[in-house]
Amino acid sequence: MPLEILLVLVVGGITGIAILSHSLGLSKRRAFQSADDAQAAWQREYPSSSVTDVILSQSGYAALVQTRRSIGVVWTMGDDTCARILRSPKIARVNTGLRLRLADYAAPVIKLELSTEETALWAAKLEGQS
Amino acid sequence: MTISYPDVVSLAVPFFIALILIELAWITITKRGGRYETRDAVTSLVMGAGNVASGIVLGFIAWGFFMVLWDVTPFDLGHSWWIIALCFVLDDLRYYWVHRFGHKVRWVWASHVNHHSSQHYNLTTALRQTWTYTFTFMMVVRAPLILMGFHPAMVLFCGGLNLIYQFWIHTEAINKLPRWFEAVMNTPSHHRAHHGRNARYLDCNYAGVLIIWDKMFGSFVPEQDHDKPDYGLVHNIGTFNPLRVAFHEWVGIWRDASKPGLTLRDRLMYCVAPPGWSHDNSRDMADGIKAKHLKRHPEDQGTPGFEHLS
Repeated sequence: MPLEILLVLVVGGITGIAILSHSLGLSKRRAFQSADDAQAAWQREYPSSSVTDVILSQSGYAALVQTRRSIGVVWTMGDDTCARILRSPKIARVNTGLRLRLADYAAPVIKLELSTEETALWAAKLEGQS
Repeated sequence: MTISYPDVVSLAVPFFIALILIELAWITITKRGGRYETRDAVTSLVMGAGNVASGIVLGFIAWGFFMVLWDVTPFDLGHSWWIIALCFVLDDLRYYWVHRFGHKVRWVWASHVNHHSSQHYNLTTALRQTWTYTFTFMMVVRAPLILMGFHPAMVLFCGGLNLIYQFWIHTEAINKLPRWFEAVMNTPSHHRAHHGRNARYLDCNYAGVLIIWDKMFGSFVPEQDHDKPDYGLVHNIGTFNPLRVAFHEWVGIWRDASKPGLTLRDRLMYCVAPPGWSHDNSRDMADGIKAKHLKRHPEDQGTPGFEHLS
């Protein structure tokens, strides 16, 4: 197949599928329905950890998870979830909440959408325990 | 004689797009058979495009290697249909072992991991392919085929057909197929199990086209109705950035192998030991994950995927 035709097919195909998928409402970000929902997503990544506390953000997009040994965050990305135990993240306060920078090439930044009160609480917990 | 085999993967691109649209329509209309998410799907498709691009840019390395072998070998099996059929079966066996190495050798896993990095399982996942296969040097596994007298163009043609076959099995829209087909062929059900991050499904069902290889070499685990595959990686990645998807495990190898204070053996093991190996045993490999699962769920002892663990 000529390269120019292949290029048109690939670029057109990706663009078309992206537009269609977005138009069908498939870009909506998942929100955790409850602290239990967030904890289930955490245990999916860390099944052996003993969770002692879960603080769900008001947005439902993230939760702060305290385990017996560590502290971490579970968050939604697209329709999926991800979780990380936090080891000395760089914490920055931004207009929408907190931005955590991790030394993790596969999850370099976690953007946490938090209210002002939540931002203060989460920052204190993260700075105090991570 | 000039030998020419079509570039079947490029020719299949319109069919890939059409089948993705059909699957998306099916899921949207029936509200079952899988799920799509825009950024995940786009990431998978961009990875597929990058795979084609890397083949164009780096393909000459493998091709050059194969042609050297072709010049060396005294054998030429010709191009009759049954030689092509035999080549297809033997190349499928080659695929099984390369795929198995891809899960058991971290250097090869670094290339293959991106295919498993989606938490979705739909036809776009099939196209989430590596950009770095050349650097795994797994082209050497094809050397015996060429030395036996199968022409390099035929071997690559059969490899392309193998890849096309595997496209349609990346779907939840098809449940189980007739028993005779499930017994011999790789199917959506078998491959869903392969993509499962559940402890039960780790390191199983490496087949490309014929599932018989897994049954022969002891890696077959049937999909269980009571243990639905949970797709993705044991530790999922937190990004849709294609560059990070493509290179994250290579970066991980570098960071591990370049840690201060390690022995040369440790550094080498971080490159070639199974994923999850660590010099201080602080991480779990597949069997460790399975063993921990059995501690939490002793009722799974002896069931498919856990038979070899006491």
